[in-house]
Amino acid sequence: MQQQTKIKKPTVNRQIAWTHLSSKPGQTLVALLGVTFGVSMYIFMNSFMNGVNQAQDDLAFSTLAHVRIYNDDDKRSYNPAESFFDAGTLLNIRNKKSLQYTDGIKNTSQVMATLEKQPEVTGITPQLNFSVFFRNGSKKINGSISGVQPASENQLFGIGSKVIAGSWKQLDVQKSGIILGKLLAEKLNVSLNDNVNVLNSDGVSKNYTVVGIVETSVKEIDKSRAYLNIATARQFQGKNFDYSSDIQVNLRDRDQTASLVSQLKSTVPYQVESWQTANQQLLAASQLRSIIAVTVSLTILLVAGFGIYNIMNMTINEKIREIAILKAMGFSGGDILSIFLAQAAVIGVVGAITGVLLGLGISSAVNLVPFKIAGLTTLPISYIPADFVSAIVFGIATTLFAGYLPARKASKIDPVVIIRG
Amino acid sequence: MKTTENALQVHNLIKYFHDPQTFQVIKNISFDVKKGEFLSIIGKSGSGKSTLLYVLSTMDTDYEGSLEFNGERLTGKTQNQLAAFRNEHIGFVFQFHYLLPEFSALQNVMLPALKLGKHSPEEIEHRAYENLRLLDLEEQALKKANKLSGGQQQRVAIARALINNPSVIMGDEPTGNLDSKNSLAVQDIFRNLAREFGQTIICVTHDNDFARNTDRTIEMADGLILNQ
Repeated sequence: MQQQTKIKKPTVNRQIAWTHLSSKPGQTLVALLGVTFGVSMYIFMNSFMNGVNQAQDDLAFSTLAHVRIYNDDDKRSYNPAESFFDAGTLLNIRNKKSLQYTDGIKNTSQVMATLEKQPEVTGITPQLNFSVFFRNGSKKINGSISGVQPASENQLFGIGSKVIAGSWKQLDVQKSGIILGKLLAEKLNVSLNDNVNVLNSDGVSKNYTVVGIVETSVKEIDKSRAYLNIATARQFQGKNFDYSSDIQVNLRDRDQTASLVSQLKSTVPYQVESWQTANQQLLAASQLRSIIAVTVSLTILLVAGFGIYNIMNMTINEKIREIAILKAMGFSGGDILSIFLAQAAVIGVVGAITGVLLGLGISSAVNLVPFKIAGLTTLPISYIPADFVSAIVFGIATTLFAGYLPARKASKIDPVVIIRG
Repeated sequence: MKTTENALQVHNLIKYFHDPQTFQVIKNISFDVKKGEFLSIIGKSGSGKSTLLYVLSTMDTDYEGSLEFNGERLTGKTQNQLAAFRNEHIGFVFQFHYLLPEFSALQNVMLPALKLGKHSPEEIEHRAYENLRLLDLEEQALKKANKLSGGQQQRVAIARALINNPSVIMGDEPTGNLDSKNSLAVQDIFRNLAREFGQTIICVTHDNDFARNTDRTIEMADGLILNQ
């Protein structure tokens, strides 16, 4: 009998809750739409922001590696006079000349072997970057050349897919081949298989054949960058076979650069720099966007919560005599609380489910809107499962909280006061 | 059917109202109600008769003195214990019928029994139909409560008060809102319940005809019992 009582009671409460909900379909729908709208906006805003962040990152990391190793010559300032004379000796040195002790990374393969041993490293590519003048006839444009290993460069930056004329692989085959940025090629007025003359700071000049045109969507690069095979570049610069200016490294998780950087700093005698320190504006922008998305969507949920609070409050004021009668008939405060909380729970759960569906609908519709800037074709949307979980959790929690306050008020109604009037 | 056993005992009951100022509504009264007795409480407005009924109903717990039902002391119990007690042992009929308007007559009658949970829903439905038939309401069973006439609503309220076979049925002006024909019908129902089923009935009324029709009348004035 005891057990039976325990099973039956919630059933009556649920029955009453259900009758309340179904006898006022308009009001229930308004409350439901509040949650639906809040949850769907939460999902849409976050998916859109994720899409934007991802598009931004894809764009940024198409030319930026997670970790860059280079030789920062500026930091060495050795003054032999100081060691030769006693301290305190007054020195007068004029027109001091600086000597270039080390330049670039001379033992590239050794550094790369060290890097390959790190488990979190997913890709390594050496580069030889230098400034040049590109010349075609009387036209002279200043820009830069990246000497690259075509295969590993493509693995890190996927640059092969951005070649709009010719082919990236041609760099491997044709050692005298050069690939130009799209805008650079336009300015030089050259196209595929034309020759372009390159002049470096040492006055060396050489002709290369255009084997490809690349469009990265980063304007700065498209109008000044050209690619050579690293072997050709070393030859052009008069450097040895193991020389490079930068080694670019990609990791499995680009947010976890700190540990690798600190580890490499002790073993590699060059500067090791993570993308976060080199490009703090990227990090700041993506975090600020996330904060905006969360703020806006939580505000929407909060407003929806107020709507539900109002509707529940109204319902309870309307039903105050019924609540008194239920209490007179032997329903306890807890029963009344559970009747109204059950209504809030139904609104919360149904609203969250329809909100998720509506959010998906809005997001996929927005994903179809054309947006042809910087390599995008439509507005970017990216779904993250955690957003859906938190949208559902926030939606239901807001509703329950908004329903709890009026429900508690209802549970405390004194039936004598109401019935006697 | 009458026995000499007490259904209800009141000892030295004192009650104050504190709003707007402290005022003694009930001034140290004691009385017993026997099982199967049909009792009416009469008195002018402000005599304390309704206040007394709400203390007896266990809904009002702000009083001094003690209240016993079938020998069980109810004074000092928690609100939830009292709610459970009301559910099982007390049936209410109010002046304004206070049905749940969104529920059918049948559902209204079934609610206290579903809450008690002693019987299966099918059994409760069967008994609710029987109660409605007893009160000549069988045809209105599936109508929404707010679609019924005043007399019908009052009879549904009585059917609801009876569903758990309570030992005491309490009425606050149960005929106050009814015409004389319906009022007589309700009085007959109460009389039958007391005589045939041995249920104790306590009604507050200012209708002297109604009071004359009961076994015993307690008359109150200024918070005191004048005669019983």
